[in-house]
Amino acid sequence: MIDLQRHQLSAITPEFRIKVVGLGGAGCNALDRLVLDGVPGAELVAMNADAQALAGSVATQKIQLGRTTTRGLGAGGDPEIGYSAAEESLDEVRSTLSGAQMVFLCVGLGGGTGSGGARLIGSVAREHGALVVAFATMPFTFEGRRRMAQAEEALAALQSVSDVVICFDNDRMGDAVSPRAAIQEAFAAADHTISQSVRAIASLATQKGIIQIGFDELAMALRGASRGGSRCLFGSGEADGDNRAHEALERALKCPLMDKGKMLGDAQSVLVNVSGGTTMTLNEVQILMDEFNRHISDTTQILFGTSVDPKLGQKMSVTIISAIGVAPSAEAVRPIAHAQPAAMIPRAAEPEAEDPKERTADISYATTDPISLASPEAVAAALAANPLADDGTSNLSNVARIAAAKKAAREAKQEQMQFEPITRGRFEKSEPTIVDGQDLDVPTFLRRNLKIR
Amino acid sequence: MGKENIVIGLEVGTSKVCAVVGETKHDGTIRILGVGQAPSRGVRKGEIVDFETASKCVREALVDAEEKSDVMIGSVFLAITGGHMDAFNNRGAVNLPEDRDEICEEDFEDVQTSAREVSIPKDNMFVHSILQHYYVDGQDGVLNPIGMLGRRLEADFHIIHGVSNRIRNSVRCVKEVGPEVLDVVFSPLATAQVVLDQNQKALGALVVDMGGGTTDYVVYVDGAVKQSGSLPLGGDHITNDISLGLRIPMAKAEKIKVEEGSVVLGNCLPGETVTLKDETGFAGKEIEREMLHNIIHCRVRETFELLKRRLDTDNYLHFLGAGMMLTGGCSQLKGIQHLAEDVFGLPVRVTHAQTVSGLTSAFENPQFSTAIGLIKYAEATQPIRQRGFFSRLRQRIPFLGF
Ligand SMILES: Nc1nc2c(ncn2[C@@H]2O[C@H](COP(=O)(O)OP(=O)(O)OP(=O)(O)O)[C@@H](O)[C@H]2O)c(=O)[nH]1
Ligand SMILES: Nc1ncnc2c1ncn2[C@@H]1O[C@H](COP(=O)(O)OP(=O)(O)OP(=O)(O)O)[C@@H](O)[C@H]1O
Ligand SMILES: [Mg+2]
Ligand SMILES: [Mg+2]
Repeated sequence: MIDLQRHQLSAITPEFRIKVVGLGGAGCNALDRLVLDGVPGAELVAMNADAQALAGSVATQKIQLGRTTTRGLGAGGDPEIGYSAAEESLDEVRSTLSGAQMVFLCVGLGGGTGSGGARLIGSVAREHGALVVAFATMPFTFEGRRRMAQAEEALAALQSVSDVVICFDNDRMGDAVSPRAAIQEAFAAADHTISQSVRAIASLATQKGIIQIGFDELAMALRGASRGGSRCLFGSGEADGDNRAHEALERALKCPLMDKGKMLGDAQSVLVNVSGGTTMTLNEVQILMDEFNRHISDTTQILFGTSVDPKLGQKMSVTIISAIGVAPSAEAVRPIAHAQPAAMIPRAAEPEAEDPKERTADISYATTDPISLASPEAVAAALAANPLADDGTSNLSNVARIAAAKKAAREAKQEQMQFEPITRGRFEKSEPTIVDGQDLDVPTFLRRNLKIR
Repeated sequence: MGKENIVIGLEVGTSKVCAVVGETKHDGTIRILGVGQAPSRGVRKGEIVDFETASKCVREALVDAEEKSDVMIGSVFLAITGGHMDAFNNRGAVNLPEDRDEICEEDFEDVQTSAREVSIPKDNMFVHSILQHYYVDGQDGVLNPIGMLGRRLEADFHIIHGVSNRIRNSVRCVKEVGPEVLDVVFSPLATAQVVLDQNQKALGALVVDMGGGTTDYVVYVDGAVKQSGSLPLGGDHITNDISLGLRIPMAKAEKIKVEEGSVVLGNCLPGETVTLKDETGFAGKEIEREMLHNIIHCRVRETFELLKRRLDTDNYLHFLGAGMMLTGGCSQLKGIQHLAEDVFGLPVRVTHAQTVSGLTSAFENPQFSTAIGLIKYAEATQPIRQRGFFSRLRQRIPFLGF
């Protein structure tokens, strides 16, 4: 077994705390769905100005926003009122979110409470050093121009305070239901998709990966997703039985936001996470990835993670996340390193406590910290930029330094990940040597999945 | 010393460019006068990928060779290699005209032309047609049919071809620097000229040159070339694997490979480590020795296994009385001989240029086998050249035993 991980960048926190916030009517509805579906290891908090709606929520933690501002009514579709309502209750929000390491913010943009409050809630979460992932829906076209404009403005504000914004078009999610279905059905379908993606990303963040997906990889996969005009591709599927690898993938590709995999060909990078019970074999992962590769173009970068989760029993589960659309712009996904509190940085892509017993699968080419994953050149560059990062004693306050290190690590990741055709190192730009379908430039020990020692 | 006896062998290798200045003597031995070298850049897997950079390296090596040997370099023999090189065996035949029954030189040309009447990819060109055997009126065992009486001349050839553009690129890269390219020679053929003697060729032998970018090979059976080729895998891959596996920069991986590399498994002490020193000599990262060996082992074994599979397509491995000769930079890896024996089931010798005199340090270095071999190749084909046929006709007069 190759266990190449030597240094942790900092002490491992015993548990990774996630809080999921549902904001406004839409956000709370999505949150209710999540409560029913269950998000292991996460606390769910409903926040709304509308007291009546809040009372109907099944979430255990609730915050009524702007008691005096709206006196228990909604924001009436006015983001300014939504903003004041959130502002009034900021202390309560702050104490609820303190201690969270990751905050998922679910919000329907276009109304008042959600559109107005999202930015404030996001920045409060940030204050505590949490990573903020926003799940935002854009209104249906039939809701009118004004709501759309409000939503767009709110989206831009939300982007400025979130590490990642995953944006769902209600118009598209409605595709899943029949054209004549009642609007409630369309919303329910949307909530279901949101719930799936929240749970998938939560489990990405908490799983003990054999090949761990780092947060900045997630950000990379979603690059461009936060633009109004871009589309988030999301699919996840589970299956058991003899053909579980194939079936799980097929189900994931059938998800409404997946377009049966057709859109994947246009994606620049795609995040794929495969997990399974202890019976999952490397071969199955390989089969699944080979099949998946047929859906993407040669230039698509795969960000691949895999983990063993005994809870899955005989099942295999695959999650695909990507974004396509407008050309990635600088602000589409704000570089994580900048606004993020410095102390958070090493933790961002840091492994969960690595329990050696968990790593029972054949491969364990751990890629758990961002720097050790990097190409040697990038490691050198990163360490030169941040010489103390290796021993955990680093003074991480120098944002520029960290940004450089992160950037180097990220660039390196773009070059190589664990599965072909990515780990080619020096041969990155040369004509590949393919024999029997194998890229021989990828290290033999990786391809043969050799247990070193 | 007559200037016509001076030959320069140039190899633009993946890891180094090397120009060997040699003097060929009448008794067939060669003497090395000097070796010029430069680290190679712009070459991957044996092929030039960055023309300008490679040209600079060639210039550096040639200048170095001129200084070391005190010889002005006006022309070179150039080794070429790469995964695009391919080969096959084919028989050519001619019937003598009705009014003549004595075989003459002209018939060689025709028989060779007919052996080349096979389609090769349209982007490819013929590089060598190496005679294997003659048959006169169906009789084999003919050494020199010229002057023999017969009606039909046949001959088997080992025909080597490669992608024209890539070969021309190599030639152009050298010409750009100045010297004339007298001939291009497929690397393993050149190498074999100095690592094998006539006897070993007759007994049958496999020569493997494991360099930085390619693993080149040639098989001799009954004194004739039967198989040859180049796998685009070599020491660079080993280094790359180490670099990715141990997460150290390429330069460090290269150093640790050369200094500590081995393919032997299971003979390390539990927990034995190698310390990676940094530039200032301070102890740095500790690397598990067994892991290092394992990464190298996997790659080298795989490369050998692929080569064996290629060789197995014809059944010559059972006819190699002289076994396998391993040369090139990677042949210096510890334990590689036993690994090769294990994979190929042949006796293996790690070797370098033989029957050469002069600078010992040069010919004892397995990395120079190819460049030195070029000099021997030139010497071996020289009699024909001096008869004035030069390179145009050289190919048409198949030279037995080469
Ligand atoms: N997915 C989903 N989207 C919804 C749902 N309800 C509303 N939306 C969308 O979310 C947008 C914002 O609506 P709300 O969440 O009700 O508005 P709000 O944020 O509470 O603000 P107020 O109108 O002031 O109460 C709407 O324009 C719809 O596009 C829902 O149940 N599910
Ligand atoms: N002592 C050593 N142990 C292991 N490997 C070595 C040693 N010395 C050199 N090498 C390796 O040998 C390779 C270079 O060999 P060589 O000089 O024969 O190749 P080349 O002619 O430059 O390349 P090619 O012929 O493939 O284009 C390099 O990968 C180098 O790391
Ligand atoms: Mg509302
Ligand atoms: Mg060589």
